[in-house]
Amino acid sequence: MPRADVVVIGAGLSGLSCAAELAAGGARVFLAAKGYASTHWTHGGTDVAAPAGARTPREGVATLAAIDGHPYGWLDGALDAAIAAHRVRLDTAGIGLVGTLDDPLVPIPTAIGTLRPAAILPAAQAAALEPWGDDGLLLVGFGRYRDAWASYAARNLRASAWEAGPGEIRALEVDLPDLAELHNLNARSLALRFDDPAWRTRALATISARIPPGAWRVGLPAVLGSAAHLAVLEQARSTLGHEVIELPSLPPSVSGLRLATALERQIMGSGGRVQVGFDVVEVERDRRRIVAIHTEAASRTLRLAADTFVLATGGIGGAGIRAHPDGTLEERVFGLPVEAPPRDGWFSDDPLVPHPLEAAGIRVDDLHRPIGQDRMPLLDNVRVIGSALAGMRYLAERCGDGVALASAHHVASSLARSAVAA
Amino acid sequence: MTMPAEVDVVVIGGGATGAGVLRDLAMRGLTATLVERGDFASGTSGRYHGLLHSGARYVESDPLSARHCIEENAVLRRIAPGTIEATGGFFVATPDDPDDYLERFPAACATAGIEAEPIPLDELFRAEPLLNRRIRAAFRVPDASLEPWELVDATLASAREHGATAYRYRPVVGIDRAADGSVQAVRTRDARTGEEATIACRAVVSASGAWAGQVAALAGATLHMSPGKGSMLILNRRLTSAVVNRLAPPGDGDILVPVHTVCILGTTDITVENPDDARVTADEVTALLADGERLVPGLSGARVLRAYAGSRPLYDAAEVGGEAHHDESREISRAHHVIDHGTRDGVGGLWSIVGGKLTTMRLMARDTVDAVARALGNEQPCRTGDEALPAPGGSRPYWLGDRLSAVESAGGGDADLVCECELVTRARLTHALDERSDSSLDDLRRTTRLGMGPCQGAFCIPRASAMLDARRADGRLEDAAPDANAALRAFAAERFRGTRPIAWGDQLTELWLSAGIFRGTLAADALPPSAGRDDAAR
Repeated sequence: MPRADVVVIGAGLSGLSCAAELAAGGARVFLAAKGYASTHWTHGGTDVAAPAGARTPREGVATLAAIDGHPYGWLDGALDAAIAAHRVRLDTAGIGLVGTLDDPLVPIPTAIGTLRPAAILPAAQAAALEPWGDDGLLLVGFGRYRDAWASYAARNLRASAWEAGPGEIRALEVDLPDLAELHNLNARSLALRFDDPAWRTRALATISARIPPGAWRVGLPAVLGSAAHLAVLEQARSTLGHEVIELPSLPPSVSGLRLATALERQIMGSGGRVQVGFDVVEVERDRRRIVAIHTEAASRTLRLAADTFVLATGGIGGAGIRAHPDGTLEERVFGLPVEAPPRDGWFSDDPLVPHPLEAAGIRVDDLHRPIGQDRMPLLDNVRVIGSALAGMRYLAERCGDGVALASAHHVASSLARSAVAA
Repeated sequence: MTMPAEVDVVVIGGGATGAGVLRDLAMRGLTATLVERGDFASGTSGRYHGLLHSGARYVESDPLSARHCIEENAVLRRIAPGTIEATGGFFVATPDDPDDYLERFPAACATAGIEAEPIPLDELFRAEPLLNRRIRAAFRVPDASLEPWELVDATLASAREHGATAYRYRPVVGIDRAADGSVQAVRTRDARTGEEATIACRAVVSASGAWAGQVAALAGATLHMSPGKGSMLILNRRLTSAVVNRLAPPGDGDILVPVHTVCILGTTDITVENPDDARVTADEVTALLADGERLVPGLSGARVLRAYAGSRPLYDAAEVGGEAHHDESREISRAHHVIDHGTRDGVGGLWSIVGGKLTTMRLMARDTVDAVARALGNEQPCRTGDEALPAPGGSRPYWLGDRLSAVESAGGGDADLVCECELVTRARLTHALDERSDSSLDDLRRTTRLGMGPCQGAFCIPRASAMLDARRADGRLEDAAPDANAALRAFAAERFRGTRPIAWGDQLTELWLSAGIFRGTLAADALPPSAGRDDAAR
């Protein structure tokens, strides 16, 4: 490996987006990651901000930016350009991105029949954003797929207060062809089947035959193809004769997997390199500079030297930050200090409400260099992005994707500027 | 289910002891019914470390209890082999354990009739390579791993075969007494419907363990229990293949028990006022890990799946013994004690069985029923040690491979896994729900191991909730069955309680994955309280 300009560590939304932007700008980029990340287990939408009371993502961002120490306090300005760049990347990949920062946050149905707020979604989920008018919602489950619960979801949605929701909500269980002898199908195994044109033609015909008369939007499990997603989505719309809405469920998330695959391709298409599956095992350091990292590789280690290292390893959920039995928290690659509430205040009593520990993370300066208690940079050539950042509660605030994209763009553009200046 | 209007004996408490008492009563031809405030084996019996004691733990501190343990160890292996995995056990002397105890141990075991074979250290380390290399002596003893839910289930099944009945979710709200002070009926309330029922009886056995003081009070008797909270940690794999005990007087963090695919590190002992206090504190976790390190260095770096606590049914010996039992009380105070509230408190026909160990459950039942039967004029001898219990579901319930074979041999959608960690199929859950249609997800956990693996329910909870919902929509569940949304919330909260005290490392990351699924993708925090019953549009 020749020396890289930038080594990005982490293959979540922030790391992939940052590497894609840098590579497209001509930098020599190497992305190294221990494994795939939150893209593979989340819903694949673009959560920018949806704190209580916000009518649009932009209003939500303003609310969050006012919270002391929240990344939107300085990243809000980067958001428009970040979303625009993300849109271009997803359009190129055939995934699409519908909705803007100024569109209303509307309640969209989940796989168990609750409602969550969204404004910006991939094309396959976007029909849930349109006003329902007289349309009904027909939820379809597949007989042998364990993670679509159409009847349960429909009953919950009918019992919920869904203002301006569908006129009618129904559920339907359909047995797709050739699955009877198979076991434990997950979203990805079904998506790979939908990639096969002959099988999906029969499968869609089977579903179509069961759809009752009326004006429906058809809610399907989020399994409409992987590599051939765009073709599957178009064929589903035309065969069913209705708009379709993918409903993401348990991991693996096909929506997120499409996104990660597309970004990885774009990085490599711009000459960047991607290595997923190997942990960082050693760090070479010269005072406040990182000289190189070593990753595991087959029967040896790989030395990656670079001018700049972008840390996109995630927070606790992505295992970029790890807690020890004594209650201390550690950033795993560079051993950076982690800001967190005291141990006895980490959790709420109810698992379904926010926990104070969710705000744990790494404090950074305006260049996103990690800083210590004295606010001075700890490492001069490291930039921290994504959910490793302190001060946000990405589940409660539904801001994880927005912060990932904005911080990735902020860092990528400032690195590009300094490269030009040099 | 209609409860009987009249029986000879009502047993209060559906743990191992109560189930044993019920079976013994039924086998002697007495009519009997059992009522349990929660699910069967949901109290101390289901919240212990899973050890079939050899008795070697008590050879010094409590020789009588040690003798009971080794005798009953042999009996349970004979009558309930399917609930026991013959792991064997070791007592090992770490550098921190006292020399004099090590010197006295072999003779004390011999006196109690427990085989304790000295083992060369190289043999020990070949068998258990992860053990501390500074261990300086080891003995092999007949400890084993025991599955409490299967044991209680099988015991209740045997009792039913002999004509007894047992009801769960029936807390006792009153014990009625005749003018002479003796008991004449037990009043219960259905915990789900609120419906009350009265069962007339000639005698009442309180097998309510740490809760025996509360039950005695309902009949106007006084019994002071000193519940001992014992906290344990579940490690995500077997660090040893046999039970390993520290060769020291009983203390914290002194035992590792391999159970199913995991192992349990136990056990603290803290006297608590309220037996329902099952919170595991950070101090207990720290102490357990520090002590566990003495057995297996590096153990604190292992993945801890959960922490949990049970309440030992300990009692104040002097208090329980009273004058009438003065001679015996001292000797048996650390073992079990049958209390006759007729002679002690003037409440004729009420007995409490307190103390004891899960291993001695059959003996505790025998001693209790000996007293009760004699008082009721029944002369039948105890036969509970002669007849085997009905075999539990699989031949080796602790062996994941048996469940895997069952999965592979089954076909169709029913063979799909609902819980991937513990290989629980849709068929298994459907069967469990057919048998007990009012089961909550936590009750299903006790019968199927649903949600007990590394992910602690992140994947199986929504799947199983949707199954419950489908059954209710089909009208196949009783009104008492929990609503799917309530079931989801309750089980998620229950699993979280055990994860929270040990939330670090991989298990904290797992908790964040779970939070991402429940709150991010599924927005389960927005679930309506009830999934509703309307299904007109299906």
